[in-house]
Amino acid sequence: MKRTHLWKTAAAVLVLLALAAGTVVAGSQPEKKVLEFALQGNPDTLDPHKTAGTLTFQTLKSIYDTLVEPDQTGKLVPALAEKWVISSDGLTWTFTLRRGVKFHNGDTLSSADVKATFERLMKEETASPKRADYAAITAVEAPDSATVVIRLSQPYSPLLATLASGWSAILPKSLIDAGHDFANQPVGTGPYRFVEWVRDSRVVLEKNPEYWMEGLPKLDGVNINIITEQTIAVQGLLSGQLDVAYRIDPDAVPQLEASPDTKVETRLTALTLVMSINCSRPDLNDLRVRQAINYAIDKQKVLDTVYGGGKIIGTFMDYDNAYYKDFTNLYPYDPAKARQLLKEAGVGQDRVFELFLPQNYELHVKAGEMYQAMLTEVGMNVQIKLVDWSTWLSDVYSQANYDLTVIGHTGKLDPDGTLGGYGIPEKRYVRWDNPRAAELIAEGARVSGYENRKKIYDQVLELMAREVPFMYLGSNYEFNAMRNNVYEFRITPKLDTFDFRWTELR
Amino acid sequence: MLRGSTANRLYYIAVAFLLILGAAAVAAPWIAPHDPVAQNVENRFHAPSLSNPLGTDNFGRDVLSRIIFGSRSALLVGIVSVSIATTLGMLVGLTAGMGGSWTDNTLMLLMDGLLSFPTILLAITVVSFLGYGLLQVMLAIGIIYSPVFARLVRAETLALRHEGYVEASRALGTPILKIVFKHIIPNLLGRVIVQGSITFALSVVVEASLSYLGLGTQPPTPSWGLMLKDSRNYLVQAPWMALYPGLAIALTVLCFNIIGDTLSERLNPRLQRK
Repeated sequence: MKRTHLWKTAAAVLVLLALAAGTVVAGSQPEKKVLEFALQGNPDTLDPHKTAGTLTFQTLKSIYDTLVEPDQTGKLVPALAEKWVISSDGLTWTFTLRRGVKFHNGDTLSSADVKATFERLMKEETASPKRADYAAITAVEAPDSATVVIRLSQPYSPLLATLASGWSAILPKSLIDAGHDFANQPVGTGPYRFVEWVRDSRVVLEKNPEYWMEGLPKLDGVNINIITEQTIAVQGLLSGQLDVAYRIDPDAVPQLEASPDTKVETRLTALTLVMSINCSRPDLNDLRVRQAINYAIDKQKVLDTVYGGGKIIGTFMDYDNAYYKDFTNLYPYDPAKARQLLKEAGVGQDRVFELFLPQNYELHVKAGEMYQAMLTEVGMNVQIKLVDWSTWLSDVYSQANYDLTVIGHTGKLDPDGTLGGYGIPEKRYVRWDNPRAAELIAEGARVSGYENRKKIYDQVLELMAREVPFMYLGSNYEFNAMRNNVYEFRITPKLDTFDFRWTELR
Repeated sequence: MLRGSTANRLYYIAVAFLLILGAAAVAAPWIAPHDPVAQNVENRFHAPSLSNPLGTDNFGRDVLSRIIFGSRSALLVGIVSVSIATTLGMLVGLTAGMGGSWTDNTLMLLMDGLLSFPTILLAITVVSFLGYGLLQVMLAIGIIYSPVFARLVRAETLALRHEGYVEASRALGTPILKIVFKHIIPNLLGRVIVQGSITFALSVVVEASLSYLGLGTQPPTPSWGLMLKDSRNYLVQAPWMALYPGLAIALTVLCFNIIGDTLSERLNPRLQRK
């Protein structure tokens, strides 16, 4: 009896010791540093060549690389291409590739991959929504494994910005030839490898130990959690289930700043926030009415109340852009002037203006409610129509079946990306007709060098500021909230993609 | 089930509440302390106080005034959509009940088909066809709830048409329309009113849900559902924005249900005898 008792005690002690030893061993192993990130929506596809969706590029930035990329100041710097030379006539661009870069499937990057990538992008069957960006390219050649030559039909300055954008992601030739399903299984050269995508739930990424940048990435993995409800993201941050949430509603900021576990980083976005005006509609084709709309809005008040503050603008360019020019003095807040202009133009209560608001963008809806109140104040009869995003894209953006709408235009690496197509009524949803502006914009794409281009775009922006096919509001602040132990959460300027290479959890 | 005086007292409280609500809806411009759409952003997120008894919302609008004006869309939607549902349902129910088996089967198959869809899904489908707005919502709710009335009216009609006095009347050669109006409708109206009261409650909820989804009342017109939608992101900061419109919806629905229950008990001869 006593003996068994002793045995049992000994066994128990042994088990405890083993457990303790186990804990010590486990504790000495480095803990996996995986970042839990909250994204507001599901990417539509993971094939970078078949979408224009921001959510896709935000996800793919960690999986793919481009030939060149914007650094934190927006300057275009070498990435997969170590250097490049542009011929004096601007028609031949020669890129030298970085050596020893490996794809996630083990292939080594060569010029054949780049050639195959651009041929896939330009092929009609691929149906890339960005195909027009590559229209100037006549041929992509691969004279040796580290050299790529791109030939153009005419000088086209925006090309470098296109090559730095997410849709120019480089894919491996072997998988392109094999008809690989890139939409669900992305394979690139990026800092993180794709593990799985559970639709409407999460995208799981793990560290690419063979990444070409020394010592990067710093995290062992990133879980991109798809969280559409703002309140849930905020609660997740407070409870520690999430590490970072991008673009928190301004109204949630005080709560997150008050918590001892979270911090909020504020950054001016590259958004051009506007109320777009359909210049082909009766009354709105009258410059005086468009001016009245611009005079009627107290811009700073809307920015502060709805968007969490920002910088007001007076033309169609984001505030921090190198090509931005200040025209805010042209139409200051002046409701009396607005009333007078509307009277001159003969706009009364019988004319109902329909203001379409994309209801998935809560901030734009709120801004729209303020605009409606301010326009009512100066005597316009404005009716709000909430529409879902797909209706907005088809009816408002594609077919221009609207009077007024509220939206934010995303920043672009090249001014041509922002301005291209404006002035030609059938090309852009504001239906603004100005051949002079269209001509200048086309010239801006052919000319090279910042100084030369700036002179041209200054004129374009002045035309747009005076003729007001939009009510220009401003560029707003964005609030990125994170746990206190998150460092170096970086966002690519203009493209607004997430750069997790330097991000650390300390 | 509540019995006797408690049930009676509840019934009168419910009627009184709805009468007050109705009066408030009609007299909204005179009794609301503030303009329900006037924005005053310097005054946003103010907690309930003397000048704003139920607080202010994210644009500094008065929550009490918005609830008072919001009762207009809630009650209007209720009245119009229940009328549509009743008219449609009675038309179909009477035709099916009085007509031959082929008419009966076809109409009821159609109604059962309509009934098999989840309410909100059907409402969204109808509204996306007709376009967004209050009128469309009323039509949608009217169509969705008509099968309930159709079934009820048909069942009652089938029972009534074999009653002695109806058969006697037929034997005397009374035109069928006259029979319907003289004998059938008066005898089933009670049941229809009970169903109407319950449907009214349901339609208030559907209107609020559709507005919450952005398909119903369009801003800045005050609507309880829309107010709840707006409050979603301020639950911690300004709980009164969600609490009071939520209460308004809950109380209204509760009152209509109490009235419906009480009436159905009173109309039921078996329960009455007890």
